[in-house]
Amino acid sequence: MYIGNLSFYTTEEQIYELFSKCGDVKRVVMGLDKYKKTPCGFCFIEYYNRADAEACMRYINGTRLDDRIIRSDWDAGFSEGRQYGRG
Amino acid sequence: KRRKVSENQDIEDRLESLILRVGEKSTSSLESNLEGLASVLEADLGSFRVKILRILADCATNMPEKCTIYTTLIGLLNAKNYSFGGEFVEYMVRNFKDALKNCKWDAARYALRFLADLVNCHVIAAGSLLQLLDNMVDAAKEDGVPQVRKDWYIYAVLSILPWVGRELYEKKEQSLDTLMSAIEVFLIKRHKNHHEALKVWHSDVPHPQEEYLDCLWSQIRKLRQDNWAEKHIPRPYLAFDSILCEALQHNLPALLPPPHHDSYHYPMPWVVFRMFDYTDCPEGPILPGAHSIERFLIEEHLHQIIESHHLERKDAAAQLLDVPYKQKIPLDYMIVEVIFAELFHMPSPRYLEVCYGSIFIELCKLHPSRMPQVLAQATELLFSRIDSMNTACFDRLVNWFSYHLSNFQFRWSWEDWESCLQLDPEHPRPKFIKEVLLKAQRLAYHERIHKIVPETFEPLIPEKPEPTFKYSDDTAPGANTARAIADAIRERCTPEEVLTGLAELPNPRAGVDEGDASSYNPLKIDVFVQTLLQLGMKSFSHSFAAISKFHYVFKVLAESEEAQICVLRSMFELWHNHQQMMVVLVDKMLKTQIIECSAVANWIFSKDMNGEFTKMYLWEILHLTIRKMSKHVQRLGSELSDARERLRRDESHSSESDEEMGGEGAGGSGVGKSGSGDDKDKPSEDMVERMEERLEAAQADQKNLFLIIFQRFIMILSEHLVRCDTDNRDFDTFWYRWTIGRLQQVFLAHHEQVQKYSSTLETLLFTHDLDPHILKVFQQFVSLRA
Repeated sequence: MYIGNLSFYTTEEQIYELFSKCGDVKRVVMGLDKYKKTPCGFCFIEYYNRADAEACMRYINGTRLDDRIIRSDWDAGFSEGRQYGRG
Repeated sequence: KRRKVSENQDIEDRLESLILRVGEKSTSSLESNLEGLASVLEADLGSFRVKILRILADCATNMPEKCTIYTTLIGLLNAKNYSFGGEFVEYMVRNFKDALKNCKWDAARYALRFLADLVNCHVIAAGSLLQLLDNMVDAAKEDGVPQVRKDWYIYAVLSILPWVGRELYEKKEQSLDTLMSAIEVFLIKRHKNHHEALKVWHSDVPHPQEEYLDCLWSQIRKLRQDNWAEKHIPRPYLAFDSILCEALQHNLPALLPPPHHDSYHYPMPWVVFRMFDYTDCPEGPILPGAHSIERFLIEEHLHQIIESHHLERKDAAAQLLDVPYKQKIPLDYMIVEVIFAELFHMPSPRYLEVCYGSIFIELCKLHPSRMPQVLAQATELLFSRIDSMNTACFDRLVNWFSYHLSNFQFRWSWEDWESCLQLDPEHPRPKFIKEVLLKAQRLAYHERIHKIVPETFEPLIPEKPEPTFKYSDDTAPGANTARAIADAIRERCTPEEVLTGLAELPNPRAGVDEGDASSYNPLKIDVFVQTLLQLGMKSFSHSFAAISKFHYVFKVLAESEEAQICVLRSMFELWHNHQQMMVVLVDKMLKTQIIECSAVANWIFSKDMNGEFTKMYLWEILHLTIRKMSKHVQRLGSELSDARERLRRDESHSSESDEEMGGEGAGGSGVGKSGSGDDKDKPSEDMVERMEERLEAAQADQKNLFLIIFQRFIMILSEHLVRCDTDNRDFDTFWYRWTIGRLQQVFLAHHEQVQKYSSTLETLLFTHDLDPHILKVFQQFVSLRA
């Protein structure tokens, strides 16, 4: 899943905590600024089960984390290099 | 001809849409809509009889909230076309029977209710319905069937009486009285061991937490006292009385409940959750009393809305706020009570906890002038009664509240809770605040939590989630090695090089023979685990990467269970201020098979963890461990049955080919004869046998895990009870309550798995010489499916 509109300060830990409410999280890949290698407001999340990702779309998409309304969307799957934003 | 087909399709679609939408908001009255629709359908009965029959029957079970609208429609159709009425009754009866056979209990109840309401519409004769109800009550008199089966039949009968009670009373008073007496006899004799275990609160003050059948029985008795006069259910058929009373009635065919079968699962009993009464909602309409039938009807409707809309939280919130009788009741309060009832439902809520949390958020957004206020009042009430709340619900409340706060900038009037700072830290109230702040910190960050609570709350503010690295102190034994390894790991050394680096460390365990299989070196483990995890401290991903890169070192150092407990202890010493880190690390180490489930269980009950024993995260770890084990067993089980199935199919296939190919062995040449294309993963007898062995091994592990956990519970609890007895102290301390609560939680949260080992547990652990306080918990668990 692609998760967007995160605060630049939101950590992987926070993302784990929130998204685990829908099921077992396989991994989180933080989106990083291409040059500075710092978080830049998005991440990828992989669940073990599709049903958990569906629950995430239903119950977490559009709610808040770090006071920001976060957006989740289906994603084809993470591949190396995609974690870098446009800076 | 094609045009004819598509025209028919159009008409069918139009009919379906008309039927589905009747009763929705409209410019004309419901009565005139129903009258119009009945005429349209009557005209189309000639060509679309079957289709109409099917749509109407589907509506009856799929839209139970519109039950009386559709029964009226059927009544009008029956008045116009008697044979169609008969066909419909037959169709519904078949649906009802099928639902019973397929264990679709709610569908069965809705079908029964529909049949009952057809008595009100003069479609079915009152006497024949009573005959059916009598048969159902008879099912509750059978011997040798589970009580939950009998319970369901009684529940089904009672729950339709609000609809048809009055009619039966007017037409067949005596038979109705007999039915009621039979039910009463059943209820008096009924066992209720499960009641205690399923309560949200141990205390019945201020609101009794009633067993569901007892509660419904009181509500029905009250209704009977009121001469079965019920004012809540909309009854559109009353307007058509003059038409309907002319119609001829049908008799239900003789119908006996299908006999019990071992594969049948019946609904588990529950306890009716109550948190409000009329004094809690001073403004606006009055909250119906706990034993008024309205309370039952409204609650059932709200639960049903949640059921139909739980996949769309926005729709769920909108529908809840838009029930037709909202002017007559304090709807906000009832919604809040019903959602908490679901969240606290024992043994587990029917949907994800976050589903309820997200519906609450939508309700607050949709109704900002009222909802946040009612929810705040509810939270206050829950907090004030938390002393007697069961431990599983305590956890759910902590999770919900911290999540809810994080969606609303953590605004809360914390000052109001200041008084509990004086209490024993193990008291549920300060404990609740502490756990909420811990969870809130996981969703936010340490500094934020500092800012949201008053300074006086300092003692309850969680520690900063940082590691405590033992070997940063140069004088600690092993510090030099730790530094050397850390440098080597930074230089990207191999796992073997780490082991070489550790080789020098002496074994502090005296008299251990290094060659012994059970030998392990706690110092080596500690230096390695602390150093590695300290290097990966930056994030979960860093830690995970470190663990998988040096997986081999873990395997070499920690083969035995004692050694694995050492790994856990070293991790704990490093990360004791970061609970979430410990949770995910244990999870990771279980997944990568560095540690076994039994090691985690024994570690949790070890002396080292005494100080942590009543903290929520430790139980989060235990439950995730048990779940991991259960999932493993379930996966092996379903793989095995898959393989068996494929083998069976293969055999029947190869016997066919035997005939064709003159006895050549199965799968010999493997020429694509099977056609399904799964030749390559066709299992052999050997493979299935190996899978059976694996499953048996996993089940043995699972059983062992439960035995460890329950034995450790029994040991510490008995020890406590005996010590208090000799010291002449009250045993009922906070510690005791938390621990008994955790034991209860393990039984209930994993009841489906534990059930399989029930008799082993009874013979080995929960024997009759055990202290009754502990034994009681086991007996309550057993009675859940009795």
